[in-house]
Amino acid sequence: MNHDQVNPSRPPIGAVGGRPSFRLHAVSFGFGRGETAVQFPVLKNISITIAAGEVLGILGPNGSGKSTLLKVLMRIVTPQRGTVELFGQPHGSFSQVEIARRVAFVPQETQQAFPFTINEMVLMGRYPHHNRTWGLGWEGDQDRAVAMQAMRELDVAHLGTRLITDVSSGERQRAVIARALAQDPDVLLLDEPTAFLDLHHQLDIARILRRFNRERGLTVILVSHDLNLASQSCDRLLLLQEGEIVTAGTPEEVMSKESLEPVYGCQVLIDQHPQSGLPRVTLPV
Amino acid sequence: MASLTPSRKTIEVTTPTASTSAFFSPAPRAEGSLAPTDQPAQGVVTLSPTKWMAASGGLGALSLVAFVVCLGFGTETIPFSQVARILAQGPLSAREAQEAPEYVILWQVRVPRVLLAFMVGGSLAAVGASLQALLRNPLADPYVIGISSGAALGAAVAVLFGVGLSVFSISVLPVCAFLGALVALLIVYRIAVSYGSFSIHTLLLGGVVLNAIFSALILFLTSLADPYKASGMYAWLMGSLTGPDFQTVFILAVYLLFGVCVLIRQAPALNLLTLGEESARSLGVEVERVKRVLFAASALVTGAVVAFSGLIGFVGLIVPHAVRLVFGADHRLLLTASGIAGGTFLMVADTAARTLLSPAEIPVGVVTALVGGPIFLYLLVQQRKRIVP
Repeated sequence: MNHDQVNPSRPPIGAVGGRPSFRLHAVSFGFGRGETAVQFPVLKNISITIAAGEVLGILGPNGSGKSTLLKVLMRIVTPQRGTVELFGQPHGSFSQVEIARRVAFVPQETQQAFPFTINEMVLMGRYPHHNRTWGLGWEGDQDRAVAMQAMRELDVAHLGTRLITDVSSGERQRAVIARALAQDPDVLLLDEPTAFLDLHHQLDIARILRRFNRERGLTVILVSHDLNLASQSCDRLLLLQEGEIVTAGTPEEVMSKESLEPVYGCQVLIDQHPQSGLPRVTLPV
Repeated sequence: MASLTPSRKTIEVTTPTASTSAFFSPAPRAEGSLAPTDQPAQGVVTLSPTKWMAASGGLGALSLVAFVVCLGFGTETIPFSQVARILAQGPLSAREAQEAPEYVILWQVRVPRVLLAFMVGGSLAAVGASLQALLRNPLADPYVIGISSGAALGAAVAVLFGVGLSVFSISVLPVCAFLGALVALLIVYRIAVSYGSFSIHTLLLGGVVLNAIFSALILFLTSLADPYKASGMYAWLMGSLTGPDFQTVFILAVYLLFGVCVLIRQAPALNLLTLGEESARSLGVEVERVKRVLFAASALVTGAVVAFSGLIGFVGLIVPHAVRLVFGADHRLLLTASGIAGGTFLMVADTAARTLLSPAEIPVGVVTALVGGPIFLYLLVQQRKRIVP
């Protein structure tokens, strides 16, 4: 299903607001090889344009292909069909390092069996900027400064010398987001960024992402189960069901009974957030 | 929709810049944002080239001392002052060779053997550390997960089909062992990834079974060989550093130095691989290429080591573990420090092996297994507490 064609009256998704960061055309992807991959696609015929500088939330029930879509954008997996463009050039024309200088990825969960310090973890974000022809990729003052500021932003600077294996999962998650910011990307992809975080740090992350978006034009693409977080912090929402785009649009357009209830298969109540006036979802008792 | 603001950074697509940070340095900041950039590097204390040099140099000095001490021990104990004097005379002093038996013992027997022990131990430790990162498993070791027995099978096949002990065969044997090690490594890797995420126990069980299969095949091959050859093969299988000459040591050094340097070159990528392949890829690592390089280099080093010294276990496990406790997890230092420390460890272990029951000799593989096995079991229990949910 080509979403651009379903709503011919609307301009192509994401065409508003500047040049596109990503443009996907008829992308289908399945895990496995050959026939299996084609028979059981996780993503079906996804076409969407994501503007540079927008905050896009990807929503959908379990197994709807949200995380897989992020992996396609990061080129962790390559779709069997369709084309992906990054800033107007084919995805395949970039080397892995060139992509990593523009796009950073925060996975759902990071497991680490080895005793790296938080400092070392965050500095790993500087890897794509290292000189790889000679030496062992030693970090310079610039790298350390960037990492330090990213750690301050994410409130993990005081944990610098602690081991990643010893801190709580929320602290680890914040360190991973700091690492992604240290990567100095144009686009930040986040898979359930707030899953392990307490309320205070959830709010922090949402604000930080918003601020980086406003000040530096960072494009933010996040997958979330938290409909309200997505509604409050995203310019645009994308609702997926079984690998297909059901709706895409502003929070007001997507967060409606008509689009949410059939996708999630349950009743929802929609009202307005008392402060922002944006739609808010609650479950009936 | 986000609107364009003057402070938006321009996105350069065609000309990537490697070093600058458009993000943090010059960009304007909002009121009250967490600020400041005046104190750049403070707080982010990690490994630097200076620390790397200091740690490697310090370890190197220690291992040099250990080298001299180990040369003194043996069936015939030679005082250190004499060891130092004979070393200073150099290996080619013909007059000394005829006069002093110590000179012959030292230059023709002990120096090549202790050098061999250093190279073998260092290489095993470096390979162990790399495999641990590659398989994301702190308990990986070329011996435990079956790579060494794969190499031994390769070497045993070569020996059985008539490769003797000429210079030619000394060069060919490591190649056969390399192929055996590579096959074993690919099988183990396949087992490790088949459960999606890397499970410690899957890998270890896979290794145990692989070891059993390869051992059975080696025993079968040995039973086909004539008794004289067979007893030689048994001694070799137990892990032994007996009787090398300088030529052997030199040929082995070429293989090992090349392989270990390749591994060290991949250290930054190894750091990222510990995060998992997806994260590594998102940070710019060409995961498939790096993996191929690591597979080849690890198999080459393991193959060469096994071809010359048989099955010496657990060095690749306990040495990186100890080094991590002291120097941290950064593979740039971990690999070099493990190399030096592993070499030192095996020099000492081998000295113990040839001194304790002197004039008889314990196979050095027995010594390392007796030291390393219990440590492995202890770590296994510890890991269970720590990682498995």
